Amino acid sequence: MSTPDPNAVFNLTKASVLVVEQSQHSLDVTSQMLKGFGAGEIVRGEALAEVEKRVESRPFELIVIDPSIEDGRGYHFLTALRRSAGPNAYTPVIIVSGHVRSADVARARDTGANYVVTKPISPAVLLQRILYVGRDRRQFVQTPTYVGPDRRFKFEGPPPGCEGRRSTDLKAPIGAAEEPNMSEAELEAFFKPQRVSL
Amino acid sequence: MSGGRFFQPAPRLKALLAEPGGMRASDALRRADRAVLEIRGRCLSGIDQKVEEILAASKSDAPSAMDRCYRLSNEIYAEAGVFGLVELSGVAHSLCTLLAESELDRIPREAIAVHVDALRALRSPAVAENRQLRTAVVAELRALTARMSAPRAGPAR
Repeated sequence: MSTPDPNAVFNLTKASVLVVEQSQHSLDVTSQMLKGFGAGEIVRGEALAEVEKRVESRPFELIVIDPSIEDGRGYHFLTALRRSAGPNAYTPVIIVSGHVRSADVARARDTGANYVVTKPISPAVLLQRILYVGRDRRQFVQTPTYVGPDRRFKFEGPPPGCEGRRSTDLKAPIGAAEEPNMSEAELEAFFKPQRVSL
Repeated sequence: MSGGRFFQPAPRLKALLAEPGGMRASDALRRADRAVLEIRGRCLSGIDQKVEEILAASKSDAPSAMDRCYRLSNEIYAEAGVFGLVELSGVAHSLCTLLAESELDRIPREAIAVHVDALRALRSPAVAENRQLRTAVVAELRALTARMSAPRAGPAR
């Protein structure tokens, strides 16, 4: 999933994107990529105090942020954003991070961001992730300890030997099949339209 | 996570992406590559400046000096990588790892110095344009850091 379909068509001309980076040059790089993608408005943020005011006052369609800004205060900013009642509480957020200290990996996961992209970023990867979060159908989860998109991508049931924590997890083993598998012809019959006389 | 509230927000981004009059991804990527190239010179000058700032910070006794070194090397790692300067980015990443894994009061200053030397060498025109020399600089750095991190032999008993 590292490059988008070259023929995929998208439109960012009416989108306002907030880019938050501590380094002026990284801010330039991300902004230039977004400019190439045709983003309608690119708002740059270099200081969290100013960024906090912006997100409280108006909606953005996308936020791209390096949470290591201001000694890691960006992580707190994102967590607070998701818990806020402001206009960007559910705005898609892409974290862009460089080298990450091991303690910060869990912090990034718990912020409620939609996606994490590791630097160095390339235009192809950034565009792919923007298209992904734009079409992301994951539900949001709100719990006392986490607010953000459901972090469970896969639905493979609870690990062996564990009781599932989801309300939809089966509480008893399914057991072995009692009948043989359906044949290919039987399966096709499900999808083949047939004329019927009434 | 039982007891959580599940809901489906409707972000505007999804609707905007699908509006008519957009562009093809291949065109967008070409435009983005061109736009990034426009700022290459400025960013590379910034990297040179950051290398010198790392050296200055590494000589400081200020409590925040090593954090500053880490932040600057992290920026070099990210920004050099965008422009395909793989070796430069790799050396900066190695410095990040060194600074992140060491206890703050035990970071060997000489290890930072050899990283800075490698970064400077990779930015010199003669090395920057010669792949063999770039590879040699990285190999030399690896050998030096391995020697530094190896346990030193104690006095014979």
